[in-house]
Amino acid sequence: MGFSFDYLFQGFATALTFQNLFWALVGCFIGTLVGVLPGIGPVSGIAILLPLTTVLPPTSAIIMMAAIYYGAMYGGSTTAIVVNIPGEASSVPTALDGYEMAKQGKAGPALAISAIASFVAGTLSVIALTFFAPMLAEFAVVFGPPEYFALMFMGLSLVISLSGRALLKGVISMAIGLTAALIGQDPLTGASRLTFGTVTLNAGVEFISVIVGLFAISEVMINVEQRITAISEMNIKNWMPTWTDIRQCTGAMVRSTAVGFFLGLLPGCAPSVTTFVAYDLEKRVSKHPERFGKGAIEGVAAPEGANNATSTAGFVPLFSFGLPTAPSMAVMLGGLMMYGLQPGPMLFAQNPQFVWAVIASMYIGNVMLLILNLPLVGMWAKIVRIPFYILGPMIVFCSVVGTYSIRFQIFDVWIMLLFGVIGYFMRKLGFPVAPMVLSSVLAQMLETALGQALLMSQGSPLIFFTRPISAVFMALALLSIGRGIWSQVKAKSPEAVTEDAEY
Amino acid sequence: MKTQRAADIAVGCLIALFGIFIIYASTFITGGAAHRLPPRTFPMIVGILLLLCGTGLALKSWSLRGADRVIPWPEKEGVRTILVTLISLAFYIALMNRLGLPLATFVYIAFSIWYLKRSKWLTAIVISLITAVISYTLFIHLLGLSFPAGFLFE
Repeated sequence: MGFSFDYLFQGFATALTFQNLFWALVGCFIGTLVGVLPGIGPVSGIAILLPLTTVLPPTSAIIMMAAIYYGAMYGGSTTAIVVNIPGEASSVPTALDGYEMAKQGKAGPALAISAIASFVAGTLSVIALTFFAPMLAEFAVVFGPPEYFALMFMGLSLVISLSGRALLKGVISMAIGLTAALIGQDPLTGASRLTFGTVTLNAGVEFISVIVGLFAISEVMINVEQRITAISEMNIKNWMPTWTDIRQCTGAMVRSTAVGFFLGLLPGCAPSVTTFVAYDLEKRVSKHPERFGKGAIEGVAAPEGANNATSTAGFVPLFSFGLPTAPSMAVMLGGLMMYGLQPGPMLFAQNPQFVWAVIASMYIGNVMLLILNLPLVGMWAKIVRIPFYILGPMIVFCSVVGTYSIRFQIFDVWIMLLFGVIGYFMRKLGFPVAPMVLSSVLAQMLETALGQALLMSQGSPLIFFTRPISAVFMALALLSIGRGIWSQVKAKSPEAVTEDAEY
Repeated sequence: MKTQRAADIAVGCLIALFGIFIIYASTFITGGAAHRLPPRTFPMIVGILLLLCGTGLALKSWSLRGADRVIPWPEKEGVRTILVTLISLAFYIALMNRLGLPLATFVYIAFSIWYLKRSKWLTAIVISLITAVISYTLFIHLLGLSFPAGFLFE
């Protein structure tokens, strides 16, 4: 079940079929588009398109979904560099130096170096994923329900504790996500819960509706409120970076890959965190830190590298433990489950052809993205100019179509609208969204693992503390909760309580 | 609810009430067997969590003093734009089953583009027409997905 070159070569053979190559290319193209367009992020992009991929075979569908995800990571820097509008929190450090370069007439090299750094970090991270994921999956084979419950509990705790001084809001966000997921039939007994006698609610709330509402619809609301109209008139010429530029960025690319990948293995360590860490590290190791913020090309390469490394690293816990570490990974998990695939250690044993094909497709996807991004830099920069009065209704249209096509029920679209409004208020009031997304996806698995573990122990919760692996996870979870409570207690002002709840 | 503190107190109270509602609703959940996790347990825990955290948020915010953040609520024009956007989306959803996906999409997109940029009514009609045609051709005709086609296409 561990790593073998045979598996990888078989994966390449599957990924290189015409059909899979085509869908990977489509995914890369849509992903870059999703990343480039302001107002639609990778999470909503994947969530909207996920139900539409049901017409494809599972391997092609997940290859396309993965390509959309890392494609969006490539494209995310364009608005940050060209117009100083970071579409995602993770693109903020890129904007610091990227926009300065653009103002100096070097938008082309900045965009190109961001694509090259993304390619280098993406490829190095896929190599690490190739070796790490099966190794961890082999370790996870011994996991039983108590270990799984403890692992998911730890994952959620880490995500919540990263809300910092907004801990209470993080827990509330998680609890609302759980409430939404609990509506419907109990997974163990089939009893109806929180349905209030309505037949429609008996089928439960689809997490895709929740995610599309939280991300896409609320984003549209924020944008129409600000009435963003047209964006930029900047033309991109001379996109090729010089050899000096590339030499200058080599160290930054390698360092940011390491930072992004290893931090990205941790639940809650989203690209919005790792890109800042990588940028800061680069500034510290630089002989001329004063250049940062004034158009230093390493200041573009480092966050872009970290961004892609983190997004690839998220696949390691997803494939080996079935644990999503970020909202985008939660959507990927939902996608895998939609196709009847259970991520976790058995994925490598039971569906090796699938998992290795997806991993192999990532190598190919990175090359495709480099080709799509480098010569077409000017085209992507032009797409940024699509005004929001066209883009906004289009995002809503895609959201409605995507949500409706999950179960072909209009009820799911109403749920999307409801969570769009909830998401808007959450953003305004400083509630983190990530805990809600993760909990709505993990709820059923969490409850099933809890039920099975308690069945094993005849109802004693001590089982989580008497088995060594689950005890370690529980200890880490309690530590992170304790840390979160401590920072909450220390908070002295209402402003401080909300300033950490950025994601 | 102009400042963060006031908003947190109000939202904390609302969440606590919601928690009480979930706890109450959980008491109606029946079923389960010996040594098995009863189906009401998890919702009950979540309800208690909401009650505790909501109360905690309200109390903590009430006790806090010092620098307060002003919440960037939209101005009147912004509120009106958001409301129109939401209401038109609600109409889009409601009309989808009656008019079908292509026609409802045409009406929604044409209206939305016209509303957000009134000088561009021709753009609105052209784009909404293209989108409606794509929605029919791609989703209903080619992919064969079960979207309502509407009286024009049935």
